[in-house]
Amino acid sequence: MAKEISVVAPIASKIEVIKKAYVDYVLTENEDPKSVFDFAKRLKITEAEFYKYFSSFAAIKKTIWKDLIVQAINEIKFQPTWVGYNSREKILSFFYAYIELLKSQRSFVIYCLNNKKTKISTPSFLLDTKEIFLNFSEEVINEGLASGELADRKYFSQKYKDGLWLQLAFILNFWIEDDSDGFEKTDEAIERGVQLSFDLFQRSPLDQIFEYGKFLVRNGKLKEKMGL
Amino acid sequence: MNHTPTQESMPVTKVARSSKFVKTGIKIGGNYIKHYSKKIFNQDLSREQLNEDNAEDIYSALSQLKGSALKIAQMLSMDKNVLPKAYVNKFTQSQYNAPPLSGPLIVRTFTKSFGKSPDQIFDSFNLKASNAASIGQVHEATLNGKKMAIKIQYPGVADSISSDLKLIKPFAFRLLGMNEKELSIYIREVEERLLEETNYKLEVQRSMQFSEACKGIKNIVFPEYYPKFSSDKIISMDWVEGLHLKEFLQTNPSQKLKNKIGQALWDFYNFQQHELKAVHADPHPGNFLITPDEKLAVIDFGCIKEIPENFYAPFFGLISSGTRNNKQGTIKAFRELDMIHPGDSPQQVEFYYKAYKEMMELFAQPYTSDIFDFSNEAFFDGLYAFGEKLTQMPEFKQPRGVKHFIYINRTNFGLYTLLHDLKATVKTNTYSPQL
Repeated sequence: MAKEISVVAPIASKIEVIKKAYVDYVLTENEDPKSVFDFAKRLKITEAEFYKYFSSFAAIKKTIWKDLIVQAINEIKFQPTWVGYNSREKILSFFYAYIELLKSQRSFVIYCLNNKKTKISTPSFLLDTKEIFLNFSEEVINEGLASGELADRKYFSQKYKDGLWLQLAFILNFWIEDDSDGFEKTDEAIERGVQLSFDLFQRSPLDQIFEYGKFLVRNGKLKEKMGL
Repeated sequence: MNHTPTQESMPVTKVARSSKFVKTGIKIGGNYIKHYSKKIFNQDLSREQLNEDNAEDIYSALSQLKGSALKIAQMLSMDKNVLPKAYVNKFTQSQYNAPPLSGPLIVRTFTKSFGKSPDQIFDSFNLKASNAASIGQVHEATLNGKKMAIKIQYPGVADSISSDLKLIKPFAFRLLGMNEKELSIYIREVEERLLEETNYKLEVQRSMQFSEACKGIKNIVFPEYYPKFSSDKIISMDWVEGLHLKEFLQTNPSQKLKNKIGQALWDFYNFQQHELKAVHADPHPGNFLITPDEKLAVIDFGCIKEIPENFYAPFFGLISSGTRNNKQGTIKAFRELDMIHPGDSPQQVEFYYKAYKEMMELFAQPYTSDIFDFSNEAFFDGLYAFGEKLTQMPEFKQPRGVKHFIYINRTNFGLYTLLHDLKATVKTNTYSPQL
């Protein structure tokens, strides 16, 4: 398996080899290798060499996930349609590109998500992914706020990106269960879900109700009228 | 608008199920209570208002169910003949409204189908849809100087049809006032056609077949289709410039022109029914355009009904008055069409014979002379009155007739309605039944 590894292999390719060997291992054995020692031995590298690139198996996992989201973001930004998109469309196009890319690693994605230890908080392998996603969303949302596409609401507008993160987590879990042709249902879930989020981020009658309420409190002598 | 919907109503069509439509289509609980409680105080509250309320409710319920439910809304609105005016107006809205697909999803659909984005395939591609179709939307594109129309299907439509139908079934039964068992063979027929409509590959294939087969008909044009740029979710064809029927009528066309378009419609349908034995079963105004050079363009072949011989022969045989005057032959045909059931008593046979004979006479009227004037109010009033009469008869509570009636009636009465809207006079002997 690791025959092609030589000490002179460039660092990048060595990282790739370790990543690939790790994925092969977990998908065959359906569990992490017993120890770094054992894994390094199979790869015919020294433990020290392994630690040069990764501090643990968890770190490999995290890197693989991180690479995927970075690649997805780079891909969409490179598309000619990107500049013409508003923020709603930019997020949608990210979701589609990301899910498309995950297809190439579907078994690994399923392995990771099914073996995550935590149900509530973000699993550790997604921590970098989350950070990158939040930065990306913030950038896109800020564009939307600046152009007036999205409603700037005190306190809330900073939370939009977290809403989108929850959505991404939902879509990931939806996708690993999706058995429709070409994962068509995931497309539908993305389309409906993201459209809904952005409808909520836009100025809506709720804003007006809220503002009208504030106005009445200030000017309507509401309290006196209600006998308070 | 130079016509009123009431005049278009002709509830006679679906003997199989017509009777119940008008009568019980209005039985939507809550509005009734509202209606009668209001009526205590206001004697003038009209039935119209009640229908309006009901239609509103039905429409909003339907519009929440996209995809096939929207299609059903369209079908119901096609059947102006069986739904009261208020319903029709509400349902007609659904023919032109559906949620647009986002740009990124369009790009994704293309990449999935062709491995390329639309701007890599076409010289230009407008990501904003120019119209909505019931299960997809239409985009404008250009390639080598040619303007094209690209139809893209909503994701998950095919998949959700059956589940949508399950959702809508109890609702539809209530609307039609029939129970599930009575209606299930008809619902299955509709389900089959709906599923076919989501198969865009089949649609391209059929569009090409039918445009080839029908190319000899005068004043009919078809867009060219591009199978290379079509897939199970995408159809690419030439862009057709033209006006929809309503818009066309607003331009105050001459009688001669209306006759010309009407004749093209008549020939198109009757050529298919009698020569091809398979017919474009969706005579919905949105599927036609009247081009600037005064031709009728057919732009949608999603719904094709093949007419089996065991339906064709008895049904179209009854168009000739010779057959209808032979009582035994007519009864035999009605039996073959399941309009008279094997278990019917002699009195029942006599009763249904009379009722259905009257219906067939009305239906066949345009065929009885060589030329027929579809602006003829008396004819449509006759149909309407006959339908009203049927709704009053308890004998028609149970649906009768084979399942093929649904689409054949929809096609022919849809055609009559279009011709009535056009107020066209057409030669009806151009393509006669072949028996």
